[in-house]
Amino acid sequence: MESGQKMRGADAVIKVLAAHGVTTVFGYPGGAIMPIYDALYGHPVEHLLSRHEQGAAFAAVGYARASGKTGVCFATSGPGATNLITSLSDALLDSVPVVAITGQVSTAVIGTDAFQEIDVLGMSLSCTKHSFMVTDINELIPTLYKAFEIAASGRPGPVLVDIPKDIQIAELEYKTPLLTVTEEPAPEVTAIDAARELLQQAKKPILYVGGGVGMAGAVDHLRQFIDKTGIPSVATLKGLGAIAHGTKGYLGMLGMHGGKAANLAVQSCDLLIVVGARFDDRVTGRLATFAGNAKVLHLDIDIAEINKLRQADVAISADFRQVLPALAASLDMQAELTQWQQEVEDLYREHQWDYQHPGDLIYAPAMLRRLANKLPEDSVVSCDVGQHQMWVAQHMWFRRPEDHLSSAGLGTMGFGLPAAIGAQVARPDATVVTVSGDGSFMMNVQELTTIKRRKLPVKILLIDNQKLGMVKQWQQLFFEQRYSETDLSDNPDFVLMASAFDIPGRTIHRAEEVEAALDEMLATPGPFMLHVAIDDAFNVWPLVPPGACNSDMMDQMEKQT
Amino acid sequence: MMHAVELRLKPQPEVLERVLRVTRHRGFTVTELTMTANEDSTLKVNFDVESERVIGLLTHQLTKLFDVLDCQVLTSSTVPVGAETPASVSA
Repeated sequence: MESGQKMRGADAVIKVLAAHGVTTVFGYPGGAIMPIYDALYGHPVEHLLSRHEQGAAFAAVGYARASGKTGVCFATSGPGATNLITSLSDALLDSVPVVAITGQVSTAVIGTDAFQEIDVLGMSLSCTKHSFMVTDINELIPTLYKAFEIAASGRPGPVLVDIPKDIQIAELEYKTPLLTVTEEPAPEVTAIDAARELLQQAKKPILYVGGGVGMAGAVDHLRQFIDKTGIPSVATLKGLGAIAHGTKGYLGMLGMHGGKAANLAVQSCDLLIVVGARFDDRVTGRLATFAGNAKVLHLDIDIAEINKLRQADVAISADFRQVLPALAASLDMQAELTQWQQEVEDLYREHQWDYQHPGDLIYAPAMLRRLANKLPEDSVVSCDVGQHQMWVAQHMWFRRPEDHLSSAGLGTMGFGLPAAIGAQVARPDATVVTVSGDGSFMMNVQELTTIKRRKLPVKILLIDNQKLGMVKQWQQLFFEQRYSETDLSDNPDFVLMASAFDIPGRTIHRAEEVEAALDEMLATPGPFMLHVAIDDAFNVWPLVPPGACNSDMMDQMEKQT
Repeated sequence: MMHAVELRLKPQPEVLERVLRVTRHRGFTVTELTMTANEDSTLKVNFDVESERVIGLLTHQLTKLFDVLDCQVLTSSTVPVGAETPASVSA
């Protein structure tokens, strides 16, 4: 269709999506969005039908995170839109570019409590980066263009566009709006000089790397910075994959379930270089004691993160792709850091994970490490929330941040399966594995139908301890072993359930079965469910108790059997 | 601390909701508020807020809102904005 052609608002919506390179939309139809679904019918922009709007929006999140593109989802008014809220909140906290388009009742009946009417714009205020309700057909196309621009620029996030039904069927003349592309700011020379001075003074610097690096497309810039400076590093849950596995001085994840070496190194550093991270409470433990003797160099595209929780000595809010090379230039720290690098190396060696686990039971950390080592180069691992999520973060390794999809900020159970679906659509040739727990898996289990419908080869590794494991662990440690509502021993037969969706699978109970079962799962051409029964005595270690300093980690307590 | 804040806003129907939601969520209590239309059709909002938190935590968040064109802190004090300084408190 040429510019200037007359069409319905609904047709214009699909045309704008196509103009933004959108090839797949995730969604669920309903009354108030029927004109848009009508426009979609037979259109090259394909639609993936979820079985719950939360699943559709999580698939859009998974698509965005695995591809770096903006994910798009559709829902109808009322319950369709309210079902998006959790996923949009997840995208907001994890800075994921998503455009959600919701149908709304016609403008004439808005505010009359019409059928399936709810104030979606009002609801969206706290769970989106920005939101719109289109009440003028002439504003439809510019609004959609703005939505894509806002979602992907600066610190990315979800944008919702609520479109009343009469706007969808109103006629317009399609015109491509004039675009104003937001350029990320360049760093100021004085700030770079101040940062470089801090770096040159530091005897024990460490990089604290967050999800912002991957979102900024600055992974290679960060790796070059590390190669040039030799500065040791740790990563947040969302930062995993930004630093290459095996990089000298890289100590993995820090924080509540971070490695001992990572936490101890941060606690003894004299300069904390924060790159795209935000001093989350799960990272810092007791904030007042976090890296207590360190100066702070904070790099973040979002100026609202600077000095929010920890005062920075120097801060730069600019494009990392310019900041990191500018800092690295004329900086040669390798020689001065030898002693600190050795200290970090000693911590690394002293606190390496121990995968030697006696007995016949399956030890999930060892299994996940084995899985990581088996995965092909083009792989994505999504996970849900709980003990298995922390084991994935601790024991698996990732080539890039987009290979590890984990609900970090919101911590949303039910994220893993639909996120894996979105990732598989974005990267059809990749091996996509969702690692889930028996609690989380049931939260969006209906999306097995989506896998069946599209014959998506998603692998499901379901770690089952018949418990809400992380809550149970806290009940054991901090609530006098009063196990309130965390028993899931009445779980369904997961493999039988998967078979109802034409997904083959098997259950394993013993350590000796792990190797062959992982191979079978990865070798199966289509989807597969590997159901792994583990003992509920296994907990996640180490653990920084709530309110404690990160150097006060609790260590393994359970008897190994 | 009390702070007097002045905002210039795009004339969107929900813009005041956005500002007030962020203000509440970030830990600030509005004690007084006026809104008037500027000649250029933008909106001017003046409000006084009270919080133990640093005002920058609020202004940075407000500035991020797409419908906020400008955000200025006019005054900050330990007594309510506009109230007379008690004789026992030195300036």
